[in-house]
Amino acid sequence: MQYELAIEGETISLDFSPAERENIAEVSTGTGKYLVSFQAVPGGRLHLVIDGQAVEAFVADTPQGKHVFVNGRTFLVRDTAHEPARKRRGSKDEIPEQVTPPMPSVVVRILVETGHHVTRGQGLVVVSAMKMETTLVAPYEGTVTRINTAVDAKVAPGDILVEIKKEDSGDG
Amino acid sequence: MFEKILVANRGEIAVRIIRTCREMGIQTVAVYSDADAIALHVLEAQEAVHIGPSEPGQSYLNGERIIGVALETGAEAIHPGYGFLAENPAFAAAVEAAGLCFIGPPHPVIRDLGDKTKARKIMESAGVPVIPGTKEATTDADTLRAEANRMGFPVLIKAAAGGGGKGMRTVENPEDMREACISAISEAGKAFGNGAVYLEKYLLHPRHIEFQVLADQQGHVVHLFERECSIQRRHQKIIEESPSPVLTLAVRESMAKAAVSAATAAGYVNAGTVEFLFEPPDRFYFLEVNTRLQVEHPVTEMLTGLDLVRLQIEIAAGNPLPFEQRDIMQRGHALECRIYAEDPTAQFFPCPGRVLLYQEPQGPGIRVDSGIYQGFEVPVEYDPILSKLIVWAEDRRAAANRIIRALQQYPILGIRTTVPFLMDVIQSDAFNKGETDTGFIEKHFKKWSPGGQERDLAGIAWVADTVTRDHISRGFQETGGIPSPWETLGPWSL
Repeated sequence: MQYELAIEGETISLDFSPAERENIAEVSTGTGKYLVSFQAVPGGRLHLVIDGQAVEAFVADTPQGKHVFVNGRTFLVRDTAHEPARKRRGSKDEIPEQVTPPMPSVVVRILVETGHHVTRGQGLVVVSAMKMETTLVAPYEGTVTRINTAVDAKVAPGDILVEIKKEDSGDG
Repeated sequence: MFEKILVANRGEIAVRIIRTCREMGIQTVAVYSDADAIALHVLEAQEAVHIGPSEPGQSYLNGERIIGVALETGAEAIHPGYGFLAENPAFAAAVEAAGLCFIGPPHPVIRDLGDKTKARKIMESAGVPVIPGTKEATTDADTLRAEANRMGFPVLIKAAAGGGGKGMRTVENPEDMREACISAISEAGKAFGNGAVYLEKYLLHPRHIEFQVLADQQGHVVHLFERECSIQRRHQKIIEESPSPVLTLAVRESMAKAAVSAATAAGYVNAGTVEFLFEPPDRFYFLEVNTRLQVEHPVTEMLTGLDLVRLQIEIAAGNPLPFEQRDIMQRGHALECRIYAEDPTAQFFPCPGRVLLYQEPQGPGIRVDSGIYQGFEVPVEYDPILSKLIVWAEDRRAAANRIIRALQQYPILGIRTTVPFLMDVIQSDAFNKGETDTGFIEKHFKKWSPGGQERDLAGIAWVADTVTRDHISRGFQETGGIPSPWETLGPWSL
């Protein structure tokens, strides 16, 4: 079986060929070929033996993909082939198109009002998570059409806090 | 001895205090905000009282409400932990005024030591070395230049009325001094309406070495040796250890003596920490006294075998220290790292959220002081510290190997933590050589990215998990077992 996995934003293809015996497979990635035996242990734990070396891994499902813990390091691993198309749009480096917090947070200040004209990069809302404040900025030039939050509101990634009607200023 | 103590804190430190109280046969009252209704400290205390909304100002910083709860529940003493109200002299005074016992130093001592200039004066009069500097602020550049020459470069110019870096300059060469003074005086004048500045010796990359002290109400003062906390990120300690890899016996002795003098001069009672800046090989300067239990106190507990919370409570109850200085030994090596809900791959951004999988490391010499559990939702409102991992071993090398092994067996999934960063710091050459100073992270880990060696392993684990999930649930059906939530639940939503 061929998998296209995004591991912490880097994509690798991984070929997984089950051997005759159960729970043993040959796995090849871009960088190596491994003989793997694997045993699931209740509680989100996996016991792997990779080329004769035992490796403990822990796996948890998150809305973004699986969190995989190996040797003290945690990786977000996503199957890009089975992902809904909308999630694949855009790359990590682009300025987010929507005014939404990067993590669950609390709204501290709202810097604009409906009807305000804003420029790309202008601060709109200040949110706070764990004593650290972050300013969410306008992704493009335009007019504020709607503010969907209030000071002290608890907000989460995906909540659109400010809606802006785009004005084409030439930078897309 | 007290029969009931209120713990005016949350998270790992509240849990840690509650545990010692239980061992002493003392009832505990936890207080909690909206966000902490099922937090670990609430679950472990015998009683828990809701004190207000999640906003700290309306809950954990609401001294009046907390004192009210102590009176209602019949608690005789309040342990403030660290942070929140721990170093607030007005709170300590109010606790006393309500007829309760504050587990910490007397409020005038908290007030004196919290005032930088007052603390400096107390230390100077006790013969404790302070950072060399001018005593009087001035607007005369020539006077300042003469003082700087006497003191030796580099020096730091600071505004007397100052703050926020305004009027502050670091000067490394004598020839730049005059110009720097003039511009600092002018900047301070514009910013504060007062151009007066003073000088302090600038320590380039000092080590941060602190001494734990204990003082009882009968006037006995002892020290419990040092902790080196030089490895800091944004002035926040992240790794602490004892003994310091750099202190000789003679230097340790003179610093310890200074720490005891400092505590004695301040009229200190209870547990406290005297912090020093240290310049190898043997120069040290008083920085400040923390008038409370420190985050890193378990390092000292592992090294000396003493329970600092128990001793705090004994002292507050009026009991004398049960030992003398010569009874306290530094044995082996202790190392602690703080685990924060921060994403080291994204500028250490806070990462609150639900802990989906949590398993603590085990084995000899390993201690975890944690405020979380599997399924707990780490709130956005508070400090991102999740837990502290502390190890003890025969020597520094063994302690470093042990803490790495423990971190490798400490899965915390669902949120991002600083664990991979901590592992790389502890495994670095500079750390192994003991070359730690307050510029360590800036020097060695300014640009850090997670190692990619485990990437393939993570991919393999992902596939193995995906293909074995079916087998597991089938197995459970055949044997009639109850599938765990990991098998039955779809993706979690936050």
